[in-house]
This record gives sequence, structure tokens and C-alpha cells, in this order.
Amino acid sequence: MLKILIPSILLLPSTWLTPQKYLWTTTLSYSLLIASASLMWLATPSETGWSFLSCLMASDPISTPLLVLTCWLLPLMVLASQNHLMLEPINRQRTFISLLISLQIFLILAFSATELIMFYIMFEATLIPTLIIITRWGNQMERLNAGTYFLFYTLAGSLPLLIALLLLQNSTGTLSFFTIPYLPSTCSTPWAHKMWWTACLLAFLIKMPLYGAHLWLPKAHVEAPIAGSMILAAVLLKLGGYGMMRILIILDPLTKELSYPFIILALWGVIMTGSICLRQTDLKALIAYSSVSHMGLVAAGILIQTPWAFTGALILMIAHGLTSSALFCLANTNYERTHSRTMILARGLQTLLPLTAVWWFIATLANLALPPLPNLMGELMIITSLFNWSMWTLILTGLGTLITAGYSLYMFLMTQHGQLPHHLISLNPPHSREHLLLTLHLLPLLLLILKPELIWGWSA
Amino acid sequence: MLSRLSRLGLALPRSVSVLSTRFVSQSKADSAISSTAVTELYEPVNQSGHGEVSPFAKNPDFHGFSTDPEEDVRNMKMGFFLGISVALVIGGTFIHYLPDHGMRKWARREAERLILLREKEGLPLIEENYYDVSKIILPSSNED
Repeated sequence: MLKILIPSILLLPSTWLTPQKYLWTTTLSYSLLIASASLMWLATPSETGWSFLSCLMASDPISTPLLVLTCWLLPLMVLASQNHLMLEPINRQRTFISLLISLQIFLILAFSATELIMFYIMFEATLIPTLIIITRWGNQMERLNAGTYFLFYTLAGSLPLLIALLLLQNSTGTLSFFTIPYLPSTCSTPWAHKMWWTACLLAFLIKMPLYGAHLWLPKAHVEAPIAGSMILAAVLLKLGGYGMMRILIILDPLTKELSYPFIILALWGVIMTGSICLRQTDLKALIAYSSVSHMGLVAAGILIQTPWAFTGALILMIAHGLTSSALFCLANTNYERTHSRTMILARGLQTLLPLTAVWWFIATLANLALPPLPNLMGELMIITSLFNWSMWTLILTGLGTLITAGYSLYMFLMTQHGQLPHHLISLNPPHSREHLLLTLHLLPLLLLILKPELIWGWSA
Repeated sequence: MLSRLSRLGLALPRSVSVLSTRFVSQSKADSAISSTAVTELYEPVNQSGHGEVSPFAKNPDFHGFSTDPEEDVRNMKMGFFLGISVALVIGGTFIHYLPDHGMRKWARREAERLILLREKEGLPLIEENYYDVSKIILPSSNED
């Protein structure tokens, strides 16, 4: 574990000490080396139990794919931000990169935490660099509002979580993941127990986000610069899913009844946010709402707690992380050329930028869950386990899949097909950097078709 | 392009920008002049320092990394090498050759071995109870 964590921490001084000329090259190179080394976490001898154990950090089949995704994302964020930061003073560039690196450090600590309080502290700690990235480097005035929504929505959920965890610590003396599955139930009165259950889950449901508490997400994703959108969509949402998976172990047996409204809300959210996507004019907002839609499916899958649902949720989290981040990168290539997020402003791009159109095509197909991509495998496992749980969910999930395909195709047709507008007279051709960025997003996704057991979690 | 123009017998003054010349006949039909080179219809806006200059103007081989062409190429090479050749190819090979990830192949072999064993000894393939029933000690059913 420290093999990856210490180099990540030492990336911070290397950012500040590298001469200006070599800053982006060295940051990219070292973060790619760390990402390659992080693949060692996948060499787990057996599927059960914890690997790479130490007192404070360990990895298990649920956290390993998320850890690798986190480490993979830092070089991608560095690649994506390089262009729009080129004109800024060097110290601001260094600060930005330091924020990205500190996010990676907090996320590695969060996903490998073996104790709930450490997970909670890291969960909260990731808010600060993200907030700074959104409010300082966002492009529009609305970024302040977005930062406020982002911070306070998450805090409103996580303060009850702190109280719930402290309560648990008080009554049991430990919050270590190794021992909490075997703990007896804590609260006595039914009402207190229900409040405690809600307090435990609320933070993660808001983070996922669950449909009713999702308002922070479109704002934060749209107003953030590209690196902010990438880390938000790819990893920070999955913190919520991962936290839910961990904490549901101690929340039995109340979960059987209390999770009903949240499952239904999540599934309803899939349809509602999908429908909102069909009406969007802002490209980044469309991708943001599509994230809410996919995460709604993940939330529903996690809440029903069956092995296949967990597996499906985990696969969908990883696949969605790569896909959504790729789509944000593509939207950013549009934005850097036209300085607008309006979709109708940059249409017919297939004629002008055919190679980028290939990436748009693959990313769109991944978003609408084309087989044999892992997006479909995850969605299918969640849908079948939901069907097993209750027949009627099939209506919601089926409709959701249909609408997902609808808005993904809408997004593709709007940006790529059609006639080039008359005002697009000079768009820069795509950079090699942009092609590398999208390759590094989509090629792992395609490679995961060949070995999906890496992201399966526990079940066979 | 200058050579092309000079073929027509026109010696253009240097002030006329080569890129913006078009051949539009502005003379009357019976005039002896066959064609005249004119400047383009829209004056190029003088944007020095104010408009967006495409980085491809200065460096046609711009890769997207840096305005310094040497560093640009270096960054591109490092990124592509470490990203694709090291991370994806070597990493992918590492993952491909991981021994029996999750012990799935072992589980299959163990299951087949146990089935053979049990069929040979005539035992049932699997018991209804996971644990040995005689070893479970239940608490007495007193009212507590």
C-alpha cells in the first residue's frame, strides 16, 4: 500500500521543485508510473478477505478496482488540464497540480481505509481540494453557487454520519472493518435505531447522488474545470457507492424495510434524470445528468444487497467512471475550441474532426451500455437482480435503459451529425494530447471486456 | 504561388499579400488586360495580441502539450510511451498472466475432485446442512 501512497505524496514536492519547462512532462510521467505500479493491487491471491494488509490500510476485492481507477485518473487529469492552464502563472499551475495530487492521496487513503473514522475523514477531506478547484478555476460566475451547493449538500449528509459513527464507536469501542461485521446491534429503541440507520446512509446517498438530493451534481460538474469534472464524475461519486457498500454490513436488519423508499427514489431518478437529459441544451449538463442516471441504478443495486447486485454496482461504477470522464474530456475539447457548452453551437463535427468523432462514437456507445462493454454487464446484473427482488422494477429499469439510449444518441447526433454551422470557420485540429487522453480512457474500458473478473468484487 | 503569378507575366509588388490574391477581372470586356490580381474581399482583421492565435500557426507540429516545440515533442513521447507502452501494454500483460485470479480455476478443480471422490464412495454430493448439526449448541428456550 505504501508503495503507491508514498510516491503519490512525494509527487507534491516534485511539483513544486520541477523547473517550469519540465513541469507537465514530469508530473505526467511520474503519475503514469504510479498508475502502472498501482496495477499490483490487482494481484490478489484469493477473492475473499483483505490483501496488502497493514494496521490502517488494506485492500479487498471491492476497493481494489476503485483504487486502481483513482491512480489511473491522475495522469489523465494532468493531460486534460494542460492546455487550459498554459496561460496561467507558473505558481498557479503548480497549485492546481498539487490540488489534484492531494485529491489522489486522500482518495487512496479513503478507499484503502480499514477503519470507518479514517474513511470518514478522508471522505470529508476530498471535499476541500475539489471545492478549491471548482471555485477558483471554474469558468463561469455560477461556480461560486456550484461550490456552495457541492459543499453544503455533502456536509449536510455527512455530519449525521459523524454522529452515527461516534455513537457506534462509543458502544462498541472499535470501528475497524475487520470486526464490525461481527458486532451485535447497537441501538435499543426502534426510533433511535431508524434515525441511526438514516444517519449512516444519508451522506453516501447524497454523494452518489440519490435523485432527490442530486441538485449539487449538475452545478458542480458543469462549473468545474475539466480536471474537476473528471475526478468528480469518475471517482468522487463512487466514494458514495463504496461507503454504502461498506456500511450496509452493520445496518442489518433494518435495511430490509427502510431501504424501500430509497430504492424506488433511485429508480425513479434514473427515469427522471434521463428525461431531463433529453431536454438539455448544455453539453456538460447532459453528461452530468447522465451520471445521476447511472448512479441511480448503482444506488438501487447496492441497496438490495444481493451478490449479483453488488457485483453489477461495482462493475458499473468502474465502467461509468471511465466513460463519464471520457465524455467530459470530449465536451472539453469542444469547449476549448468554441468557448461555449451549448450543443447546437458546435454541430456536424464529424465532418470537421473525424478522428475525434471516433472517440465520441465509442464513448457514446459505452454510455448507452452497448454489449460487450462492462457498462452493459454491470447494468444487466443490476437489472436482473432488481427483477429478482421485485418484478415491477423491470418497468422502471427497462424504461431507464431506453431513455439512456435515447439521450446518448441525441448527444452524439447533435454534436457529430448534421450540417456544420456557418460560423464554425476555424476550429483547431485535435491535438495528439487529446487523442492520448481519450485513448487512455477508452482503451482500458475495452480491455476490461476481456477480463471482467478484475472488477467483479466478491461474487463468482 | 509567387512563381505562378509571375508565369502570367505579372510582377507583383511585395505589399500585396500572396495568400489573399484572387483573380477577378475588373476590367471592361474589351480591355486588353486579361486579369487583375486583387486583394481579397474581406480585409484580414489585425488581431495581433488581441484575438486568439492558433498554436498551429507558430508550430505546425503542435502536439497540444507546450508552446516550446522541443518540450512539446518530449512531453508527447513520454506521455505516449508511459501511458500506452508501459501502463497499458506492460500492465495489461501483468494482469493477463496473474495466476488464477480469485482462485476460480482452483475452485473448479476442487469441485470436480470432490465430486469424483463422493461418487466413488457413494456419498451424497452435497449435504443439506452446511454445518454439522450435532455441533450446534442452541441456547435453552427459557424466558429471559
